[in-house]
Amino acid sequence: MKSTRKLFILAVVMVIALMVVAACASKTTTKTNPAQQKVVTKIVEVTRIVEAAPKENVPKGATVVNFWHAFGGGRKLLIQRMVDDYNYTHAGTYVHVENKGSYRDTLNAAILAAQQGNPPHLVQIFEVGSQLALDSGIFVPFSDVAKPSEYHPDDLIGGVANYYKFNGKFYSMPWNSSNPILYYNKDIFRKAGLDPEKPPQTFEDMLNVCDKIVSSGAAKNCISWPLHGWFFEQWMANMGAELANNGNGRDARATEVNLTSDAAKTIVKWWKEMYDKGYYAYSGKLEDWDGSDAIFVSGQAAMEITSTSDVTNRQRDAKENGFELGTSYLPYPASSVRQGVVVGGASIWLTKGHPQKEMDAAKNFVIWFTNIENAIRWHKATGYFPIRKNSVTVLKEEDWFTRNPAYKAAFDQLLETKPTKATQGAVIGAFPQVRTIVEQAIEKVLAGKASVDDALAAAKQQADKAISDYNKSVK
Amino acid sequence: MYPAKFKGKWLPLAFLSPTLLILVVFLYYPVIQTFVLSTYRVAFLGLRKHFIGLGNFIELAQDPAYYHTVLVTVIITTAIVVVGMGISLAIALLANQPIKGAPIYHILLIWPYALSPAVAGVIFLFLFSPHFGTVNYLMSSLTGKELNWLGDPTLAILLIIMASIWKNLGYNVVFYIAGLQNINTEILEAASIDGAGPWRKFWSVTFALISPMTFFLLITNITYSFFDIFGMVDIVTKGGPLDATNVMIYNLYRDGFEYYRSGMAAAQSIILFVAVVGLTLVQFRTSGRHVHYGG
Repeated sequence: MKSTRKLFILAVVMVIALMVVAACASKTTTKTNPAQQKVVTKIVEVTRIVEAAPKENVPKGATVVNFWHAFGGGRKLLIQRMVDDYNYTHAGTYVHVENKGSYRDTLNAAILAAQQGNPPHLVQIFEVGSQLALDSGIFVPFSDVAKPSEYHPDDLIGGVANYYKFNGKFYSMPWNSSNPILYYNKDIFRKAGLDPEKPPQTFEDMLNVCDKIVSSGAAKNCISWPLHGWFFEQWMANMGAELANNGNGRDARATEVNLTSDAAKTIVKWWKEMYDKGYYAYSGKLEDWDGSDAIFVSGQAAMEITSTSDVTNRQRDAKENGFELGTSYLPYPASSVRQGVVVGGASIWLTKGHPQKEMDAAKNFVIWFTNIENAIRWHKATGYFPIRKNSVTVLKEEDWFTRNPAYKAAFDQLLETKPTKATQGAVIGAFPQVRTIVEQAIEKVLAGKASVDDALAAAKQQADKAISDYNKSVK
Repeated sequence: MYPAKFKGKWLPLAFLSPTLLILVVFLYYPVIQTFVLSTYRVAFLGLRKHFIGLGNFIELAQDPAYYHTVLVTVIITTAIVVVGMGISLAIALLANQPIKGAPIYHILLIWPYALSPAVAGVIFLFLFSPHFGTVNYLMSSLTGKELNWLGDPTLAILLIIMASIWKNLGYNVVFYIAGLQNINTEILEAASIDGAGPWRKFWSVTFALISPMTFFLLITNITYSFFDIFGMVDIVTKGGPLDATNVMIYNLYRDGFEYYRSGMAAAQSIILFVAVVGLTLVQFRTSGRHVHYGG
């Protein structure tokens, strides 16, 4: 009896230990990444990933290049098709492409693989992971491997090229670039007696337009966007305010975030006013892209602010739900001058320590993958920016923007962006954590648990500590 | 029954070695690594480390936000264990009645357990999403009122508790039905003859005889609420709003996999480990004594 009980205790303790380990290792495959997908498609994808293990025929003697990315669904299939094209036309090189889950999962997987001495050659890394990627020391600057005459940096559109330049070096090849724009439902605008060709431009306009939409009953709410730190960062940039000190972390390592600046307060105050008046709606959950999409697409809100990479999706949604879609610039406070936006998205990084032959093969693939034609192909299929000026010229020749006006606002907004340290985007080591801290501060303000000033002051303190912890960890 | 006897020590060890090997590689080694990791400040999942001794634990001890996650965990665990097991026992008693089609009911009751936490989470998200969920749609058409299930801290905790109880209901019910079916009906008859009423019969006979099951479920339910709740929280609330559902396991995940603070995450998993092992041992010492194994 006694010994049975002891065994039982031992068994329970072991089960618990197993659970601790399992819990530490567990990750979800359904994390939302900025390439927003609907919840249902995600589940389908997960099953698909499990099912699909296509056989690969690596040609004999070919140099294999491993390429990891974070896209699922249709984008994953498109990437596979592009890679297949490359493999077919480039004998001697075989690119093996793999989806590694979310942006975070992909970076985690690459770092773990590097630790084990077997990193993939090419990794897609999201923009907030840039400082992490730099500090990890497993990557090599792209400009050290490729000559400018090979990858034509002058042809890259300004904002995009700016983001990935650190310490004067061009570190990674921009790939999927996007920023936030305003989407609106022209039918609701008409119903509310507003001019459907005049979407609000400033924070103040927005309040007026929203008043008309909500009070006329044209829609229950006026606008939605995910409660995501990305939007706060974009508004800071749009006002020309730097998010982090030391030149947004580009002159020297960032040690503080400017969360108590007037710009930050203006944004959060407006956000709060929009929420209190019932104009702004979000799903109640942080970083819930799908939630905001659903609020807008279902007609509960007349407008949505979200990524330009959603233009293709939103056009389809509008057609399916029978409303006319308009797009416009990200609104800004009238008290400031519109500076433009930070490029969001991700770029392709090269890991170091491979034989020269493989490095060359990887480099050649990246150059091909982001060349003029492929940038156009990628843009048309997804809505992400074509990252090359020449691609834009070709698209204009084809009357692409005339035939697809929804893409125009997205594009002009980026081209009109003034290249400053603010619009270059912040580089912060603990960026993922800082984002959550900002989001929670805004959440607190919206819920009425703290004043704007108090919440931002507390958030600054937390964020600064997170940054100093991070900086200590990489010394 | 005679226990098998081996000559010498080596033969039994040889037979045990495959199991031991698996345990060492997949269980003991990672656990030891977790202990080691908890004493470092780690960058990039172990690419760079600094030894800081108990630094991570001291930081946690001084962090009011961490106390909040502990409190949330305690609230959610207590609710899941008490309410979840209570409902399960009630359902098991009903399902154990000699009625037509009982096996069908049994299967229907086990159903939720067969779903993965992710799928269960998505179902609850569809039901309770404040803007396009079924529940709010029905509520607003019936009463004209809507509740912000994901935006209101109290409601979000309730939602997580509800979803987690529902998810684990099948598991508890199966064990309780098994326990109830093992009760010798003669004892219940004898109690009836002795003049015991239904309540008395339940409390003194049935409940006492299924106490080993209750005790087992108590431990599994606690581990469930400590660890397995992760999927639900990640899908439904992401720890929000205002950290209201940021349970210890979710906080650990965020530190480890989103903020790249592996050392801090390791320290938190040690705390979880100690808490659950401690709780289990306390239960063996206290309630374990009242458990009647019937043998």
